[in-house]
Amino acid sequence: MSQQIIIVGAGMATAYLLQALARHQHDLRITVIGDEPEACYNRVMLSAVLAGESVAQDLQMLDTQVGAGAVNFITGTRVESVQLDNKTVCTDKGETLGYDRLVMATGASVHKPDLENSWVGGVQELRTLRDAQRLRNIASHGATAVVVGGGLLGLEAADGLNQLGFSTSVLHRRPWLMNRQLNREGGELLQCKLEKKGISFRLEKSVSRLVLQREKLVALELNNAEQIACDLLVFATGINPNKCLSAASGLETDRGVLVNAYMHTSQQHCYALGECTQLGQQCFGLVAPVRAQAEVLARQLLDMDGPGFELEDWPTQLKISGVDIFSAGQLQQPGEELVLRDRGAGIYRRLLLRQGRLVSAVLVGDKRDASWYRELIHSAQDVSGFRNQLMFGRTTCEAMQTAAAAA
Amino acid sequence: MKTCNTTCPYCGVGCGVTAQREEGGLIRVVGDDSHPANAGRLCVKGTSLAETLVREGRLLHPMSAGRQTTWDHALDLVAQRMRSVREEFGPQAIAFYLSGQLLTEDYYVANKLMKGFMGSANVDTNSRLCMSSAVAGYKRAFGEDLVPCDYLDLEICDLLLIVGSNAAWTHPVVYQRIVAAKQKNPHKRVVVIDPRRTSTCDIADLHLQLASGSDAYLFAGLLHYLCVKDLIKHAYVDAHTQGFTQACEAVADLDISKVADKTGLPEQQIETLYSWFAATEKTVTLYSQGINQSATGTDKCNAIINCHLATAGLGRPGCGPFSITGQPNAMGGREVGGLANQLAAHMDFAEEDIDTVERFWQATDMAREPGLKAVEMFQAAAEGKIRFLWIMATNPAVSLPDTVQVRAALEKCDFVVVSDCSADTDTAAYADLLLPAAGWGEKEGTVTNSERCISRQRALQQPIAEARADWWIIKQVASRLGYADNFAYTSPADIFREHAALSAFENSGKRAFDIGALAALSAQEYASLPPTYWPAPVDGISGRLLADGEFYTASGRAQFMPVIPAMPVHSGTSDRGLSLNTGRLRDQWHTMTRTGLVPRLMRHQDFYSVAVNAREALRLGVNAGDVIELRGNAARVRALLLIDDGLPMGQVFSPIHWSDQFSGDACISALLPSVTDPVSGQPQSKFASVQLYALSTSLWGICFSRDKFLLPDTLYWSRVVVEGGYLTLMASANGELAPEVLSCLGATAQRCVEYTDENREDYRYISQRDGELRFALFINRERDALPLRNWLGSLGTQSLAVESSRLLAGMDASAVDSGRVVCSCWEVGENQIIQAVEKGACSVQDLGDVLRCGTQCGSCVPELKQLIQARQSEQAA
Repeated sequence: MSQQIIIVGAGMATAYLLQALARHQHDLRITVIGDEPEACYNRVMLSAVLAGESVAQDLQMLDTQVGAGAVNFITGTRVESVQLDNKTVCTDKGETLGYDRLVMATGASVHKPDLENSWVGGVQELRTLRDAQRLRNIASHGATAVVVGGGLLGLEAADGLNQLGFSTSVLHRRPWLMNRQLNREGGELLQCKLEKKGISFRLEKSVSRLVLQREKLVALELNNAEQIACDLLVFATGINPNKCLSAASGLETDRGVLVNAYMHTSQQHCYALGECTQLGQQCFGLVAPVRAQAEVLARQLLDMDGPGFELEDWPTQLKISGVDIFSAGQLQQPGEELVLRDRGAGIYRRLLLRQGRLVSAVLVGDKRDASWYRELIHSAQDVSGFRNQLMFGRTTCEAMQTAAAAA
Repeated sequence: MKTCNTTCPYCGVGCGVTAQREEGGLIRVVGDDSHPANAGRLCVKGTSLAETLVREGRLLHPMSAGRQTTWDHALDLVAQRMRSVREEFGPQAIAFYLSGQLLTEDYYVANKLMKGFMGSANVDTNSRLCMSSAVAGYKRAFGEDLVPCDYLDLEICDLLLIVGSNAAWTHPVVYQRIVAAKQKNPHKRVVVIDPRRTSTCDIADLHLQLASGSDAYLFAGLLHYLCVKDLIKHAYVDAHTQGFTQACEAVADLDISKVADKTGLPEQQIETLYSWFAATEKTVTLYSQGINQSATGTDKCNAIINCHLATAGLGRPGCGPFSITGQPNAMGGREVGGLANQLAAHMDFAEEDIDTVERFWQATDMAREPGLKAVEMFQAAAEGKIRFLWIMATNPAVSLPDTVQVRAALEKCDFVVVSDCSADTDTAAYADLLLPAAGWGEKEGTVTNSERCISRQRALQQPIAEARADWWIIKQVASRLGYADNFAYTSPADIFREHAALSAFENSGKRAFDIGALAALSAQEYASLPPTYWPAPVDGISGRLLADGEFYTASGRAQFMPVIPAMPVHSGTSDRGLSLNTGRLRDQWHTMTRTGLVPRLMRHQDFYSVAVNAREALRLGVNAGDVIELRGNAARVRALLLIDDGLPMGQVFSPIHWSDQFSGDACISALLPSVTDPVSGQPQSKFASVQLYALSTSLWGICFSRDKFLLPDTLYWSRVVVEGGYLTLMASANGELAPEVLSCLGATAQRCVEYTDENREDYRYISQRDGELRFALFINRERDALPLRNWLGSLGTQSLAVESSRLLAGMDASAVDSGRVVCSCWEVGENQIIQAVEKGACSVQDLGDVLRCGTQCGSCVPELKQLIQARQSEQAA
């Protein structure tokens, strides 16, 4: 008898896991239970949906073979509880399903600051396809949208809202945007580019109060007591892993569901995957590590050997059309800076070297050779021999080395 | 397409060129097959002539005190200043300084105005720096300035001594003729006598690498040898010469061991040379600046001539002492009397000559004494004695020795007029009045080459803007001075006829220079005048010059000069002391006002460099590529160091071409003291005592730019032209380079695309405007880390599909570097040649078949051979 796998959550992590499993011959019976009406869509593209650049179908991550084959999708359904002892889950539809192995892939939620009245209409988030569709239905003309959070998600949301027609501004607590991925100059250039698209910014600001009129949001009061008009407020102030169900079920959790390098939770036959997980001190919000986790987990479910999941500095890329941002490595280390600036073209590239090794790459406006830099950071290869051409990419470095060898 | 035959304006070979032109521009220049000097051959400089006919760098309008003015005003001003200075300070307070670049007609009019109407003989010329010792030598020996040889003699002689000349580079077409003749005649021997092992040595059977300035010992010793061995042609000496005994006595102690001692040559080599000379009927001694530019240059010339007289080695085919001139019309200048110690048409300041010329010219105020020679002229200006100075077609602020003093003189002189086709010369900077002269391709007239062949220069196009022919300018001034009737020329033909008539005037065989046959040319005949050798007397064909053993001295006999050789004197020595030698580069001309416009001529050797040999470099603790400073004569130059193992120990070689326009502190003449030959007044440009110091550099930079810029405060900078712009190499001793350069270029780092690696001091800047690259600047603490010259030099031609940030890489990832250009004609690089050799090319012929290099002007052939040899011995090792 083949094994029954239940995956709780139908987000991107689940999609990657299904893709990874589909690359192998197996007889697993798989059930995916998700609380959204749609399953396994590309959440990263929500701002594109918001902007009207993409439609729901474009986000579909699984082809029909995977979706319609051996996998049973139960959508619009929440798992209410997990009984680890008898290997069952109960749904909000009153169903109880048994499993041989369980995967918790419950994702994460927007971290909202603790503010009064944040329940009112006009306070939104952009986390689901439905969020996106709801936002699209709000009359944007002449309306003011404020995104709180100048990180990856906030900027993508702001771009979407801006394109939708909102007069959009971003509040950010830090002195520059994407401060975790970019240094000041890179952040400033990014801001410049987004300003050109029509988005405005308030840096080193946060919301201290929502101002309502007739129970409707009309303005925000900022930490400097300034009031700014606001019809729509979107929080993008980071994410929190969804750990409640796991915790309630008796899995060990901290900020997220604790896993080891093979995605095992504290309980046998129970795994966790994606944004809900925590390995060591690290939680995960980017696609790359989640994909890597999915690969590891797939092997586990198939009882195959293979390397475990390793922590590394995953690069960040911003998905706003026309605004290329790439960041990899450890930005804030002391080191030797190589910088390229083309102010006219909006290009800023900063490579940080330490002891002859590339430790960080920030690429704004020109992401070419990003994956090569990522490899170099990862492999900690000595780049001294081609340092003078490192900025200009792999082809140039190789041509230079060839020429040097010929001479 | 129309074609027009004219004459190349560069060296003294005087090649005929055929210019092919279309409406609106010159297409290209090829060798004139019908010209006797070159028979279709052309060197790379001549081949590039079309590229010099550009607006860039031209003086377009008369400029008075820096402001554009009208010709009328400018000419009035000249006349008025000449008149007032002459009235107030006398005729000796005015002077003309002319040039071997002028056409004979220009020269004639200038000379006539000064010597016949201003009452001053202060007319001298840059030919003073080039061949005045040769003139003096000929005059002492023959009684007249007669070059008794032609290029055919170089081909048919069985022994050719090339003395003090790197003909392979300085007179490439004559050299190629010699090469070809030697190939045809395996018995022909070539001896090169030069302290440097130059490209000319490529064909030498014997290279005598003698001590600088010791040539006179070698030839005086030869006369001694001929006496001792009784190899004198007594019949000839007795019949046609005088002073033989005194000449022999003067050299009586110069046996071979003494000569060896003085010249530093092995006795065996000296013996070989002497025995070859004695045993060869047909021997030509070809000499040039290495002989002339000396404090004892005239004696050296006579030491050579003595040997030819003693062996009757002149006046016959394939024989003679042959001085080859540096400039296109040095000879023409000599013919009209453009030197201060000549009057006109080979007449001097003898009473009878003065009278003859005075009558011919109907002169109103005849000069009766020789005037000031070049160096003296500028010294007089510095002392306030010359108050009006008119400089035509030359750049004395760069080319005269002791340029610091020359510049002080120009500063001091009340009124300096400069007529030139170039706007930006170091001399022009001192001019009170600048007059735009027509340049090559714009003017009509004649030139005479080193073998006494008169050729037409013809106009290919209208003068640019307001430029005018020099003769016209002088005539206008003469008219304003009240001599309109005496200068009523309407064309160069008028002037030429008068010049020819003067040469024949009351001549009747007294003077060899007689071109009376040309005195009645019609306008049409002048227009189509074929290359014509002089003498050309009205009464028929003249035979070979000096064939009859009749000379132009009072006695009719050739004069042996007693020569007591002397070495140049070192002024102070130190362990950094070297003797300075100067000369030309293969692809450059004078102060580069023309050749400096042609990218391909800048690729053989580019940024200003001086050379020592490798052992000397080791001794001095300097390396190839270092920035060094040469000090001497209370002045300095800064250059890159090149290693040239053709140089002897103790010598540093500098090209003469660089000026403030192209490089900082690169005027090598500043290091030459005003030491001149007492007879000829020619400066000793081949020898000076200097010290060499290495300068430490903290940063190097190289910049491609559309606009030129100067960096006066930088340790070293040097600029060459490339396609579509310029390349400037620079180095600083401490501190930054970028701010100064960027400010010169009207830019800031903020407005550039920039790359910085501060820890490595690697800074790069690109600026574009309207899709066109304006400049690309690269700075690094290592020169080797700067982009390759070939890549950077090609940026001006690239359409800017390449984005700025990729240009910052400083290289083209897809291209292979062809290396330093060796063959300028076909633009073939060193790397290409090495590759071809590695692929099996083992001769110059093979390389020519594969790459075409060496197949046009041939001046790179010696280098091609070296590359083949070097590569083959590397492969063998």
